[in-house]
Parts: sequence; C-alpha cells; structure tokens
Amino acid sequence: MSHSFTLNGQPVDVTVAGMTSLLSVLRDQFGLLGAKLGCGEGRCGACTVLVDGEPVDSCIYPVANAEGAAVRTVEGLESDGEPLTRIQDALLEHGGVQCGACIPGVVMTLTALLETESRIDDSTVRSSLSGNICRCTGYQKIIDAAQAAANANGGPQ
Amino acid sequence: MTLVGTSARRADGEDKVRGAARYGMDYLEHGTLVAKVLRSTVPAARITGLDCSKAASMPGVRAVATAADAPGLSGLMIVKDQSLFATDVIRYVGEPLAAVAADTAEQAEAALAAIDVSLEPLEPVLDLEQSLAEGSRLIHPDWESYETAMPGTRGGNLAWESRVERGDVDAAFDRAHLVVEDEFRTQRQHQSPIEPHVAVARYEQGRYVVHTPTQFPFNVRGRIAELLGIRISDVRVIVPPIGGGFGGKLDVMVEPFACILTRKTGRPVRILNSRSEELATCGPRENAIVRLRTAVAADGTLLAQDGEVIADNGANSSGETVLVANVAPLVLGGTYRIPNARYASKVVYTNTPPTAAFRGVNGPYCVYAQEQHLDRIARELGMDRRTLRMNNLIRAGESMVNGQQLDDAFLTQAMDKVDEIRPWQDAHTERKPFRGVAVVPLTWITNPLPAAASIKLEEDGTATVTCAGAEIGTGAVTTGVLQIVAEQLGLRLEDVRVSPTDTDTGGYDGGAQGSRTTYGMGNAALDAATKVRDQVLDVAATMLEAGSDDLEIADGTVRVTGVPDQHVAVASVVATAMFDSGPIGASGKFATPPIPFDSGCMAGAAVTSFAAPLYQAHMAEVEVDPETGRVTVLRYVVAQDVGRAINPQMIEGQIQGGVLQGIGYALFENLRLGDNGEVIDDDLESYRLPTAADAPPIDAAILENPCSYGPLGAKGAAEPPIIPVAAVIGCAVSDAIGTTMKELPLTPFSVLQAMTEDQD
Repeated sequence: MSHSFTLNGQPVDVTVAGMTSLLSVLRDQFGLLGAKLGCGEGRCGACTVLVDGEPVDSCIYPVANAEGAAVRTVEGLESDGEPLTRIQDALLEHGGVQCGACIPGVVMTLTALLETESRIDDSTVRSSLSGNICRCTGYQKIIDAAQAAANANGGPQ
Repeated sequence: MTLVGTSARRADGEDKVRGAARYGMDYLEHGTLVAKVLRSTVPAARITGLDCSKAASMPGVRAVATAADAPGLSGLMIVKDQSLFATDVIRYVGEPLAAVAADTAEQAEAALAAIDVSLEPLEPVLDLEQSLAEGSRLIHPDWESYETAMPGTRGGNLAWESRVERGDVDAAFDRAHLVVEDEFRTQRQHQSPIEPHVAVARYEQGRYVVHTPTQFPFNVRGRIAELLGIRISDVRVIVPPIGGGFGGKLDVMVEPFACILTRKTGRPVRILNSRSEELATCGPRENAIVRLRTAVAADGTLLAQDGEVIADNGANSSGETVLVANVAPLVLGGTYRIPNARYASKVVYTNTPPTAAFRGVNGPYCVYAQEQHLDRIARELGMDRRTLRMNNLIRAGESMVNGQQLDDAFLTQAMDKVDEIRPWQDAHTERKPFRGVAVVPLTWITNPLPAAASIKLEEDGTATVTCAGAEIGTGAVTTGVLQIVAEQLGLRLEDVRVSPTDTDTGGYDGGAQGSRTTYGMGNAALDAATKVRDQVLDVAATMLEAGSDDLEIADGTVRVTGVPDQHVAVASVVATAMFDSGPIGASGKFATPPIPFDSGCMAGAAVTSFAAPLYQAHMAEVEVDPETGRVTVLRYVVAQDVGRAINPQMIEGQIQGGVLQGIGYALFENLRLGDNGEVIDDDLESYRLPTAADAPPIDAAILENPCSYGPLGAKGAAEPPIIPVAAVIGCAVSDAIGTTMKELPLTPFSVLQAMTEDQD
C-alpha cells in the first residue's frame, strides 16, 4: 500500500503496510535516525515527531494515519540560518542534555509547545513533557531551557 | 584563561540536539543478520532435551547457538557461576537457552518458536529467607567447584558473605541505656535507560569486533572472552554514544550472542533487546532485607550496632551484587561514629533474574534502613532527630567502621549548608498536619579503579585525547576531562577533542561507574597533559630563546611571561618539534594511592575502603494526603562535596537527575516478581518511571573540599545524589504520619496501611 505525506517539507511516497509504524518508516526507509526506538510502546516519547504540528509517538503511530499530513522530525528543524533552533540552543545552554537519547523527542515536543502556546510557564512545560521520559536529568534543566527559549521567542515571560 | 570551574557546554551536545548522534541503537553495518534469544519461561528445571534441528533449517536462519558454543563459566569478577546459556539446569525465568541469527527478525522469532525444549521441573526457590533456610533446595549444587577471585564465606544458597567487626559489640549492648531493633525490606529497581542493550559484532582477522554502548568496555571485553573461552585480546570493544546506563550497562549482556553468531555465519550480527527483555532480564538493583540492632547511651551516643543485610543475588553472580557486598557495612558504618560494630552482608541465590549494579550500589536501602532506624531511636529518646545525627557524625580525623581515617570528613559542613538553605528549626515551626521533614548526611565512595589516557598534538595545534573512558552521558569524558586537558595545555576547549572509545586504542579504564571518570580519567589525562605541556615548553623555549620556566601557554599561543610580543603559536611548536624532538604526545596513567584501613576487621571484602570519600546531606519536606496516602515532595535540598567542581552545571544536572531517580525508588518504582519468580513489570506502563510532574524543586549547593589525589582536587560527583533520597523521603513520611515506614516503595497503599495500623 502506498502512503503519501510531506516529510520535513518534501513530498514523499512509501509503499509499506498501513499499520507499519511511522518510526520504522522514518528510520528504515528514509534513514532518519534522530527519533529513537526507546520502548516501542508509546511510553517513553523518544520517538516523538510532529504530525501536522502535533507531537505523536511515532513508534505506535501507523504510517497510514500520516496520509496527506506534514511530518516533521528533528532533522528537519531550521532556524533562519542559525546553527540551532532556540530550543536546541537553550537545551545546551542550560545543561538539559545528558545521554541525549530522549532529546530528539524532547526537542520535537517543545518545538510544538513553543509554536502553539502563547504563555509558557513551569506548569505548561511540565504538562507538555508528560509523554517524554528523561531518565538522566530530572527534567529541571529541560524545563529551564524551554522557558528560556520561550523568553527568547518574545514570549510573555 | 580559566576553563576548569566553568559550565562549559558539552562538546557532544550539538549532535545530540540535532538527532545526529549515532547511538549504539543506531549503529548498523551492511549485511547484518538479526539475532534473537530463546529464554526460559520456567524458574527451575532440568533440561532433558534441546532440539534445534528444525529451527536451523528454517527459511532465513543462518545459525543457531547453544550452550556448546559458550563453554566458559564467568561472573562479575568474584564468583564464576554463570554460563551464557543454561546448560543442564534452568535457574530463572528469562535464562538464555539458545540464540538464532536470521535474515529478518520475523524469521529469527519463528526459529525460536521451533526449538523443542524438554524439561523436568524443579522446585523453585524464590524467597530470600526460604533460600537460606535449612534443607532448602540448592540452586547451585556444585557451588564448591566454582572458581572465586578471592576467599570468602560461601555455602549452599549463600553466594557470598562479607563481614566487618570492630570493638566489643556484645559488651557495648550490655551497658546500653536503650537497645532498638528494626527490620526493613526493599524492592528491585530497574535502571531503564532510554537506550536498550544492543550490540553489533563481526568476526575480522581472527578477532571479535563488537560495537556496544557499554559503560565499562574492558569489563565487557573480559566477560565475553571468559564466557566464550577465548583470549581477552581477541575481542575489541568499540563504544558508540551511550543512551544511558545507570549501572545497567556495566556488564556483558547481549554481546556474547552476537559474537558467537557472527563467528558461525561470517556475517555481522546485531542483537537489540526489546523493552520487555530489558525489564525482565537485565539485572536491576537487588531487593534486600536489612536488620539493625543498635545500642545507645542516654544522651543519644551510638554505642554499638549489629547489622545484617540480606541481598538477592538472583540465580547467579553475573551482576555486581557479590562484588560490592562489603559496600553495605561500609555505608552503614561510614557516616556516624559507631565504635563497636558487627555487620554481615549476605548475598543469596534465588531462582529469579540476576540482580546487578544500579547507581549507588547497596547504598539506598542500607541508608534507608539506617536513617529510619536512627529516627526511631531519636523518638524513643525524645531527642531532636537532627541533633542526634550531628552529635554522632564522623568529624575530620575520625574513622569509619573499617578503620579508615576520614581526614577530610565534611559531614557537619554539609549539614550546616543544608540548614543555611532551609533551617531545620523553621521547617519545624512552619509544620502543618500530615507534613514531615527529614535530613540525612552521608559518606560515599569514588570508584578507585585505574585509568589511562594519551594525548597528541595535531599539526594545527589542536589536541586529541585517546582513552577508553566511556561517555555515559554525564559529560565527564566529552567535556569535564577536556576542560582539564585544555586548561593544562593552554588551548581553547573547542581545540581539544577525544577520539571514540575503543579498547584497541585506549589504555585500560575502570569504566563509567561510581563517579570515577572525572576523578580517574581526569587524573590520567592531567598526567598526560602535563607531559605534553612540558614537551611544548621545551621546544618553544628554544624557539623563543627563553627559559621554559618563563613561558606560559594561553589561547593556543606560547608567550614569554611579561613580554607579550615574544610568542609563538602552538601549531608552530608542533611543526618545529616534528623534525627536532619528534611529534608531540604523551601517555598518562592513574592508580588510586593505597588507603590505610584495618584489614583485620573484614572478611570477604572486595571493596575494602572508600576511595576519595565524598560527603553530602539531603533534606526533604513532604506532605501525605490522609485520604489517599499519596506522598508529595514539597521541597528538596542537597549540599554535596565534590572536591573541586570542574563543571558546576553538569554537577547540578547529576544532582537533579539522581534525586529524581531516588524519588522513583522511594515512591513507586518496583520491579515486582510473580509466583514463578518472573518479572511482572515488563513494560513501561506498569514499571512507571518518573516524569516531569514528579520532579520537585531542588536547591543544590556544591561544596568544594579538595581531595589530595583527585585531579585539581576533584572527587566523584555523579553517583551519590540518588543514595540518601529514599531515606530522607521515608523519614519525612514517617515524621508526617508518626509511624516508621519499614518497606519501600512508599506507595499510597503502603502509607495508608501504615496510618491505619497506627490507629489500631
């Protein structure tokens, strides 16, 4: 079965069974290894990508559901010629990255948050991260980074 | 230029935030086969038949491996009681029986299902006390035949016992004002890094080349060799970026299967654990029983303590539980003056999945028991709980239970720092119903294992560090060690790099464990950097016609001190040296200096002392919901001595992460075993990990109390923040509800139950 969607802005077409996970399509068909197979159960969020701007657990997201949608992965992030997006930069500046295996997913979740929320505070960041497990950092520096990136965005803080 | 002490960004960070870092789980080779392992579904049985003939002839199947392919007995350094595959007897649910390599995962799974196993069931021994009881079935009837690395008390289902005894314990109990006795029971906790165990192996020029994200490459190399019955140097371990470990990736796990199957097939073989295999078969922190009996004087002075720790080894000694058995006595007797003490640390076989290292080995449950016990003593004496602790704390120059003198003890300072951030008195006066507070001091170890590093200068004046230190994620290798090297060489941080971790190129290193990388590798790299610096200055001195003592290096330039226009670029020095003294480069190494202790007081102790000891205090304020029993951590304070803070932000990250892992252990993480000794919680829905919603506000103070043999004074920092957490939260909960909590985790059910029993 053939499935068409845009991947990081480019139209793509894949022929796989509709229930194939979006994650395995990204990794095996397109060689995009940023999203991780952390648990394969939709629990850890290391596989988070954006489908039409919404974070999804791509490990349990059937590729058929992406039909006609805009799929964005960590590899597709751009920031006006800057080397890193605000959230990527803030994560490094605030020490929010340790082993980093969860980080591609965290980056996508927080990218969606920064794009959609006008007011970002400690509790909005925490609730947005409810589906992203980080076993290393204890989250505080990730939360600090998200708030700093929101500030840099000209947000209300 | 001062790099050390700054919160430099991690050098491997950009790749990580871009999703460009290639972890072990991302590593692939062309033509790679997929390996899967057939695992036992019963806890105890005799194997009467294992027929793989049908599986071997199935489509896509390239090889099947069984016990005959892995003749060696191994174990994590001390007791060699582990075979890779169950041979005649099955000892736990999840024990490997056979492994298959096939073109696809589906073909490998189908082949596993076609393996015919015949079994005669044996009575499983699942419970710690049942295992030690007279007449219990022996899990290893041949225990006497196993090789051991050192003498120790063993026998029957007792895999190992470490003992410490000081003073006259019985006499002290006879003259005690008060004797208090308690028993505590704690659960298994799983490391659960985001990246599962994974390996890709290929057989090349008569050697096994293994890509695996391990914390301890030289251990994995040695353990593969031992299990396969081959030479250590016939294995090469290459470590890609590691997606978390926390002790879970110290030991060999999936690598030997890939090695055997690549040898059989001539093709690269990849093996990747599912999340379920991770939880069910990759050794967690051991469940344990801690019994403490303490003699106290009327003024609260601790006179004597008699302690027994019974820890679950699981079915064999493949994890670190036996190796670190003596950490239990040392941690019980390392923080307070206990002049008369008798500790027995027993590691016991059961027909359950083997237990292993998790950050803070042995520590969290021993500290939980000790601190709950001390709080009970304080309550019985009517004494303030902090005062009892302050009065009994080991001061500088006093000794731990092993006779090791702690010349740099910093416990009172850590307690005072916590009190400065959140005064104990204020926490009490502001107390509300169902709120509790507790404070816990702790002495802990820096892992003392050796390290080696070499440094060469490149033609462009930059430096490359080569070592086998594993970058587990703390930043210790890719940033902390580089900060030390860059500062010593007068280079910019971005001009110093570290080459990938490889046992073929790096000298022996004791692994990313026990906070040792900055300490051990930092020392080795500093040694190498000092030699490289001397070489640079020697050559530059000739070039600048100055004495090398008059030179300084900064920003990649060698200058004559006080004469700014007399300088030469390090790159020019490298070029000149090339045809003069030869390319610039040097090797460095480090071994922890001998630590005096009283060897006569211990038996069966692989860990005999606390190297580069470090000191900390944690405080927590909690609230218990009287309706639901749910515990909320309102506030958390840490003061931790790190010797010298090389990168303060990274240390804070270790404190925040360690405390949250400790909160998981304290409140809900519990890797439960079922009636067959099988892991029940084999997915992340039922084994819940802490989320952002569980993280309380943490105030962290970093204290600098230099270690005389640490690099620039640094000692360990990353491991200890997890250790006192369950204790401090447990004591605060006990304070809130007025009942001593005797078990972990402190689930709403157990807290409600304790409150109800208290009312009865």
